[in-house]
Amino acid sequence: MGDKSTPLLAVLQLLRKYNLKGTEEILRKEASLGDVEYENLDLPEVELASILTAHHTESDPYTYEFAYESLKKFIENSLDMYKYELSTLLYPVFVHMYMILILYDNTVHAENFLEKFGPEQEDYYQEDLKKLSIVKNKDQVKGNELAEIYSSNKFVVQLSRDASSQLKRFLHEQKNSTVVINIINNHIQIEIHDGPGRTLTQIRATAGGLLGEATKNENRTKVYYGLLKEPDIQLPPAPIEDEEETEETPDKPKKKKAKKDNIFMKKPKSDPNAPLSDRIPLPEMKETDKLEKGKALREASKRVHLGPESLPSICFYTLLNSGQTAICADICDDSTLLAVGFNNSTIKVWTLTPVKLRGMKCAEKLQDIDREAGDVLVRMMEEKDRDTCRTLFGHSGPVYKVAFDPFKNLLLSCSEDSTVRLWSLQCWTCLVVYRGHVWPVWAVRWSPHGHYFATAGHDRTARLWATDHHQPLRIFAGHLSDVDFVQFHPNSNYVATGSSDRTVRVWDCLTGTQVRIMTGHKSPIFVLTFSVCGRWLASGGGGGELIIWDISTGLPAANLPPAHTAPIHALAFSRDGTILASGSLDCSIKLWDFTAVTEEVSVDEIGNNSTVQRDDRFLLRSFPTKNSPIKDLHFTRRNLLLAVGSYDGSS
Amino acid sequence: MGDSDFAYGSSLSIDSMKVIAESIGIGSLGDDAAKELADDVTYRLKFILQDAMKFMHHSKRQKLSITDIDHTLKSKNIEPQYGFLQPDSLPFRFACGGGRELHFIDEKEIDLTEILSAPPPKVPLDVSVRTHWLSVDGVQPTVPENPPPLTKEIQKLESVDPISKLNKPTNKDAAGKPMCGKAARLKASESVHVKQLATHELSVEQQLYYKEITEACVGSDEGRRAEALQSLACDPGLHEMLPRMCTFISEGVKVNVVQNNLALLIYLMRMVKALLDNQSLFLEKYLHELIPSVSTCIVSRQLCLRPEMDNHWALRDFASRLMAQICKTFNTSTNNLQTRVTRLFAKALQCPSQTNNENGVGPSMVTSMKESEKTPLASLYGAVQGLAELGPEVVKVFILPRVRWLGERVEGALSGLGGADRQAAGNLKQQLLKVLAPVIRQLRQPPDVVDDYKRDYGYLGPSLVQLVAKQRSSPAAGSAGGAVAVVTCTPPLVPSAPSAPSAPSAPSAPSTPSPSPTPSQSHAFPTKTVESVATRNVVISASPTPQSPAPATPPPQKFVIVASQQKPPQPQPACGTGHIIVHSQPTIVRQNVQSVVVTSGPAGAAPPQKVVVVGMQPQAAPPAVPAPHPPAVATTPSHVSQAPVSVVAKPVFTRGGGGGTPQPPPELDDLSHLA
Repeated sequence: MGDKSTPLLAVLQLLRKYNLKGTEEILRKEASLGDVEYENLDLPEVELASILTAHHTESDPYTYEFAYESLKKFIENSLDMYKYELSTLLYPVFVHMYMILILYDNTVHAENFLEKFGPEQEDYYQEDLKKLSIVKNKDQVKGNELAEIYSSNKFVVQLSRDASSQLKRFLHEQKNSTVVINIINNHIQIEIHDGPGRTLTQIRATAGGLLGEATKNENRTKVYYGLLKEPDIQLPPAPIEDEEETEETPDKPKKKKAKKDNIFMKKPKSDPNAPLSDRIPLPEMKETDKLEKGKALREASKRVHLGPESLPSICFYTLLNSGQTAICADICDDSTLLAVGFNNSTIKVWTLTPVKLRGMKCAEKLQDIDREAGDVLVRMMEEKDRDTCRTLFGHSGPVYKVAFDPFKNLLLSCSEDSTVRLWSLQCWTCLVVYRGHVWPVWAVRWSPHGHYFATAGHDRTARLWATDHHQPLRIFAGHLSDVDFVQFHPNSNYVATGSSDRTVRVWDCLTGTQVRIMTGHKSPIFVLTFSVCGRWLASGGGGGELIIWDISTGLPAANLPPAHTAPIHALAFSRDGTILASGSLDCSIKLWDFTAVTEEVSVDEIGNNSTVQRDDRFLLRSFPTKNSPIKDLHFTRRNLLLAVGSYDGSS
Repeated sequence: MGDSDFAYGSSLSIDSMKVIAESIGIGSLGDDAAKELADDVTYRLKFILQDAMKFMHHSKRQKLSITDIDHTLKSKNIEPQYGFLQPDSLPFRFACGGGRELHFIDEKEIDLTEILSAPPPKVPLDVSVRTHWLSVDGVQPTVPENPPPLTKEIQKLESVDPISKLNKPTNKDAAGKPMCGKAARLKASESVHVKQLATHELSVEQQLYYKEITEACVGSDEGRRAEALQSLACDPGLHEMLPRMCTFISEGVKVNVVQNNLALLIYLMRMVKALLDNQSLFLEKYLHELIPSVSTCIVSRQLCLRPEMDNHWALRDFASRLMAQICKTFNTSTNNLQTRVTRLFAKALQCPSQTNNENGVGPSMVTSMKESEKTPLASLYGAVQGLAELGPEVVKVFILPRVRWLGERVEGALSGLGGADRQAAGNLKQQLLKVLAPVIRQLRQPPDVVDDYKRDYGYLGPSLVQLVAKQRSSPAAGSAGGAVAVVTCTPPLVPSAPSAPSAPSAPSAPSTPSPSPTPSQSHAFPTKTVESVATRNVVISASPTPQSPAPATPPPQKFVIVASQQKPPQPQPACGTGHIIVHSQPTIVRQNVQSVVVTSGPAGAAPPQKVVVVGMQPQAAPPAVPAPHPPAVATTPSHVSQAPVSVVAKPVFTRGGGGGTPQPPPELDDLSHLA
């Protein structure tokens, strides 16, 4: 009541001042204000005026247009130094003016206002404006996702010190109109940074978030982006392998072997950025996992070194007759299995090698097996070969993501039915159904060390799970819109999420807090991937843009030129981290020179200048496919690029 | 984004609300209520659609589907609208009347019993995985699984507008392009952008391929040739070899015209045809080599050693169709291809009148007869055929005015002595009749009086009257309406003596062309590459004498025409389901009567693919085999579209030459409407 009655009291005071008793009494009666509040009627003159004028302007639709225009004029006339920074104010002011107009039931004016100034807003906000424009009355504001976000959060604008003082001066001059001041006070958070005003390109690089730019303070936390120390794995003496290696007379592989030893054995010890190895409890490796790891290391030693001079070969797996039904695909780490999730709730797993898919023997037969036998793992499988493809049934909605665990025993899938399922690749049955998300689950990813996995969904949260818990270990809440993708950091300590609110966030698995928020994308982020070294994060967006982020600072390291014309849904780093491959719905795969990107950044760092490159020399090559949108990209351990796409017909 | 035609907050119209209200029985919905409803419904619809977009994106699609909306409704706790699945988009239909405009979905009532009794639909194929190399060491191999390195549109753009190529950064151009040998290494090792589009270096494999293909195309093994032509017509990676192929063809034609080697010329033309049919090639840049070669094969004075024996007519026909196809595909306003080709042919027919025109003297056929006597009849035939393939409009403008003069030539030759000349004149006459009759039928109103015709068209008048009358009476031709270019198969002048086995299937022949005109592009038949370039052996129809051997069975749906010349007679092998062998055999017994027998495999082997045509005019032979003739088909639509124009533009020909004096040919450049 207090808030609401203040203007009334002000009016009363005014009436008294002019000695209009009759009116005063009527008002008193009508507003049922008792005599009690007489003593309250001692508002200072200035406040009285401001209340009355505010009341006047707030309900007068014409002032908004005028106020917005004068703000625009001020920004246009200000010096170039401040102009671009100040112009970031325009959009939030515009949006809130529109919403106030709606709230005060000036629908027609609101529409006119939108018509008049909407088209001149930045192009990456047009999508939001379209969404906002469907809100046309008070009630709809409450139910609308976007309107609620705007009204309950503050829009972040970064200004240099000088620019903000310019703004203050302007606002002081505008005495007759408090509209802009009110909006800026209530809905905009102005972050002041030291240093010169930023240029247009600098602003564009980080602008685009649903609520403006990320503030520097939010990215202060130290992120341990280094890699964990690899567990020592005694390479089992494999005479055949060794022979092969000695046969390969050119000294190249040997050299690489030595280098690799460096990477895996020595570097992590000295890596200051690596988290402690027990920061997150990691599962003990099983014997079989160790075998698998050893195999991976041996494979890695035969890896082809990639670079701009030696581009990878691409093997393309086309899903025929799939129409629009195939949604997602994943290839397991050793590149022997391919899983595809379908629209019709099924998951299919293909073998990519001549080895057929086998199931485990039934329970009675398993009892007969001598558990102490050395080859128990082989014995428990069925003898006869099965198919090259097996189907997993269980979901009751489209399967949006599938993921193989690092050791090829398990498969995770998430679906529209808001569940995540864990499948065994030995029994070929569903083991666990993880419920927790309320709405469709868009993405699921394994931790690189297994055991943990992360999911992201329509309910605007990302969650961290362990396979042995039916409830999530952590819930990462904070995104303002759908969380579209989730990705584990190579050291399993962090999870990165990409969202429809056009931010990329990094969360600490240990504390569950947000440690990085990165803005700059102009459209939803559909795919993320960490570089091999763990420092860089590549993100692909719905508009086909591709941004490389530096996790250490939370700033965009490179804004790769827009080469894709459709959403990017697949990203992959080569195993040696030199090439970044991106696959998009525009039916093309593009290869990027990642070494050049990182070099560029390190040069920049010396100048302590986080500019963004506009060069298009990073793009190495583009490979169009025959009308097959790319669903997944995967580098084999030997750096052969595997791509999965579904043929969409010749239309 | 920011497109100007986008309106913020558009909303459903009040009328729509009223119509919907009516449809559920609310007769009088107030304007205010309708407005409220419209706003609310719009809000809810858009609200749902926004979320449906998310489902679409996560299904990795770019097209919203009904399931997306269903899922959205489900997520909003609203019962989905089950049963609205539709694979294709439903078009809105429009209707108006009574001052109201309506858009509605055309929903047909479905008879359930019909569906139940209908055979079950085909079971959809299961999803399968197919593997191929998208790139090998950074180079995209040109295999059918990969898209062609340069799409036809880009090639077309480049040839029409070469600047567009310069504007594009070379890097992007070369981005997905396969490179071979040195170029690739160069590109990889340094960032110097080598101009990639014309690699003048063939890899060893390409050289081998080139050698194999060219040898097979002109070799003696028909089976290999078919394979080679198939490869030329389908392979997506021929760009680098294209200049060499074209040079091979043009040089080959040059040499073989001099040597009068008919068979080789035919093979070379078939190569041209195959290259034209290749979907991934755009030959514009090589037309300067191809067109002279093709036109040589049309109008050359002599194409074979014994003009009186060998069937060089078929080559001329085939080459004419090729030329028509070239014109149709590559004609642009900048190259004026069709105009130039038309001019070329018209010149062959035009010598006398054109010189006269230039001298300012009135056209007088008689005086210039001598000069034009030089043009051999074979060339005239070629020119007529070449023009005829370009459509009836061209026939009307360029052949019809000269029909008197041509008739005189024919008359002179027929009464002359030389056997070859007589045959040529006979062929030319048939050709002219066939070409002109449909045009005249359209131009003139019945009754067809012999004297009128004789006055207007000279020597050919009486024959034309007959043919036109016949065509008018024939119901098939009548129903064909505007599609004059599809020459009817009814043979008016041929004594019908069909062989016994072919008789039952004969009626199928005329019906065959009816489905084929629908695909407007001749590319619709990429596999039917082989044309009826057959040599005509001397035989009377229906006699069981020399039959050429059929080659090894090619894949079905391919039409193979045997071009063996002096091979020993062999019995027709009774194999080959569905492939058709055409033996066209002229007779010189009666000069202008000739028959073509098209036999198929054993009767009943593959009924739908069997085409048997019996008894045919000589010149009509190749176009009368309807199905495998893309050019004949291709001219049809163009004719139809041009027909009304022509009537307006050149009305003079309907009454043309009333005074017996032939009309001066119109300006050649005034052909833009033919494009």
